[in-house]
Amino acid sequence: MSSAATTPPSVDKVDGFSRKSVRKAKQKRSQSSSQFRSQGKPIELTPLPLLKDVSAQEQPELFLKKLQQCCAVFDFMDTLSDLKMKEYKRSTLNELVDYVTVSRGYLTEQAYPEVVKMVSYNIFRTLPPSDSNEFDPEEDEPTLEASWPHLQLVYEFFIRFLESQEFQPSIAKKYIDQKFVLQLLELFDSEDPRERDYLKTVLHRIYGKFLGLRAFIRKQINNIFLRFVYETEHFNGVAELLEILGSIINGFALPLKAEHKQFLVKVLIPLHTVRSLSLFHAQLAYCIVQFLEKDPALTEPVIRGLLKFWPKTCSQKEVMYLGELEEILDVIEPTQFVKIQEPLFKQISRCVSSPHFQVAERALYYWNNEYIMSLIEENSNVILPIMFTSLYRISKEHWNPAIVALVYNVLKSFMEMNSTLFDELTSTYKSDRQREKKKEKEREELWKKLEDLELKRSLQSDGIIPT
Amino acid sequence: MEVFKLLKELKSNLELEVHYLPKENGLSLIESTTIGHGNGVSAKGRDDQVEDLWSLTSFFGYSTQTFVLAVNLLDRFLAMMKVQSKHLACLSIGCLHIAVRVTEEECNVSSSHELIRISQSKFTVSDLSRMEKIISEKLNFQFKAVTALTFLHLYHAIALSHKSNRKDFLNLEKLEAQLKACLCRIVFSKAKPSVLALSLLMLEIEALQSADLLEIAHRIQAHLKISKADLAHWRGLVDQCMREYSSPECAKPDHKKLMWIVSRRTAQNLHSNYRCIPELPTIPEGAWDESESEDSSEDLSSGEESLSSSLGSDAEGLYFPSNFRSRACRP
Repeated sequence: MSSAATTPPSVDKVDGFSRKSVRKAKQKRSQSSSQFRSQGKPIELTPLPLLKDVSAQEQPELFLKKLQQCCAVFDFMDTLSDLKMKEYKRSTLNELVDYVTVSRGYLTEQAYPEVVKMVSYNIFRTLPPSDSNEFDPEEDEPTLEASWPHLQLVYEFFIRFLESQEFQPSIAKKYIDQKFVLQLLELFDSEDPRERDYLKTVLHRIYGKFLGLRAFIRKQINNIFLRFVYETEHFNGVAELLEILGSIINGFALPLKAEHKQFLVKVLIPLHTVRSLSLFHAQLAYCIVQFLEKDPALTEPVIRGLLKFWPKTCSQKEVMYLGELEEILDVIEPTQFVKIQEPLFKQISRCVSSPHFQVAERALYYWNNEYIMSLIEENSNVILPIMFTSLYRISKEHWNPAIVALVYNVLKSFMEMNSTLFDELTSTYKSDRQREKKKEKEREELWKKLEDLELKRSLQSDGIIPT
Repeated sequence: MEVFKLLKELKSNLELEVHYLPKENGLSLIESTTIGHGNGVSAKGRDDQVEDLWSLTSFFGYSTQTFVLAVNLLDRFLAMMKVQSKHLACLSIGCLHIAVRVTEEECNVSSSHELIRISQSKFTVSDLSRMEKIISEKLNFQFKAVTALTFLHLYHAIALSHKSNRKDFLNLEKLEAQLKACLCRIVFSKAKPSVLALSLLMLEIEALQSADLLEIAHRIQAHLKISKADLAHWRGLVDQCMREYSSPECAKPDHKKLMWIVSRRTAQNLHSNYRCIPELPTIPEGAWDESESEDSSEDLSSGEESLSSSLGSDAEGLYFPSNFRSRACRP
């Protein structure tokens, strides 16, 4: 199904760390589809007159006929077949898009089922399997949907239909039901980002207009995420779904329902643990911050959750977590801050000492944030002792000079904030270090003594080294 | 007879201290200078600079002796030469560098380059070495200054060697820290080091409420012939300074002065992450949401409270304003 085969260069066999993107650089952008042409005669559609060319009474019926014609699905993988008919369908679809946008009084009750049918026929399909098992969303080019010329117009049409002034959810809900929504959600796994973008808008409108479907939609999204996190770690539409959720969370009524709080703790927080976090982290962070702006009391469980799942081996993720944490701290209430400051700064202290300079740098940059600084100032007697040892140590030991310079900034701020405490900690640190050095020295001398003892013994017994 | 030797040393230092005092009218001139463009160094300018010196000393792990010496060199120079405020930073780093070379072990001396980098200064290494030459010449290479720290150490040694006061312990490090706090204000540079040190000592003794130590202090005072009036004057000022130093109130650090230089990758990260504003409009949750209807027969997740059954679930009318047309279209 892909348009080019890949032959990995032989250097690959020697160097286990070569980047996949280098390996796959030769591969051209591929297209795929699962709409295949059925064997048999080519599709023949009788050309219909244009809508603008018929009278107003005839338009609704013509509209229905055109909808029915557009139910015919073409095979785009075969680039040479049915070219004339494909073009006809494309221009019909275009016409329908315009018609729905500007017309009035066209939407009869009979139109609804035909619209839904046409859309279903076109978009609902089993998605083609991914090209390779190792599709890496971050590095590989996505496989695009071959029938996009038609598909795009169908989506466009559907959205305008949903947004039309004449659209009535009470009629539509007979046809846009749970089964429809379920199939729609499955499409979010499409590799084609353009399709996912349209789906995002479609689902957003449906959620807005069909109150009866809201709980169902939320529940299904829950399931998708849970499956993603705990079973497959594969789903392409997480970012889009999160964007929709962002607009939903934004509209939550206060006080927050227990269902929503559960969702935050059981689904959104664990979502941080997947490997491909970078693909949807911005949207996820946005959702989290929205939740906290709605209900600040959730701050403590959120931060504790993040600390629990703090990445231990993936530095790229650590940097993301630090970014998200800063966004959370930007909106945190001082009373909440006091509750979590100890575990929080213990983790920051570890980040600051990280040998990975990007992690250390990102953590140190917190001290450039005015609001965070004001929180630290208010609680410097708790925070300074936690941070002090690692800061002082890395100012002497870190390999990266830029980090050392940043540490100076942080230490200077602390010095000015609370000189007495700072001086106390300095002298304790110094005396601790001296004690350690003394112990080191004693240990070395002890070993030396033992060595000398051993030599003396061996010399006494006529050169025979005792075992 | 240990005490006897120490007392002799005290006396000789007392005679020397006058040579290392910055000129008083020079200092007064600085105190009266207002902060302004093109003016000379002001008291605040000098104080801020000394605080920076303390940060650097602490950061590089140098001793209090280095710091005290650096401040002494700085004050002496400022008191005798008219210095423009824009040269103050270079001057103070120069004094620090000289003090480091005099006091610290050679292996611990940091390079000019490192000093300039960490202090985020704008001048160059050659600027710094020229400045150091000038300082050395003007001060006649008299670097082994007798300072308040010298006297503090001597006083402490005397107190320690007295058999009678085994139980009261004078914390030298604490005294050093307090001295450092005092030196951050130009007014204390006018004091005679012996008097300043004695003031600090007496305040600490008062806090400890030790009669033995107090007696020792009085004996020192008599031995050095320090006048009561002098001592009282400086004690008052030191007391006030100590109150501010140990107050639990935090001074708001002036971090506008600090530059935060981050690597390119981190800088990109900072910009891109920042609060992506979504394109989708908010969907308000209504109180009458999701009541039972044929559509929502699916059971809800646990924890959902019971729904009212009397409200209709369909909303007629517009959810989005009629002029709303935006959506993301990718080509």
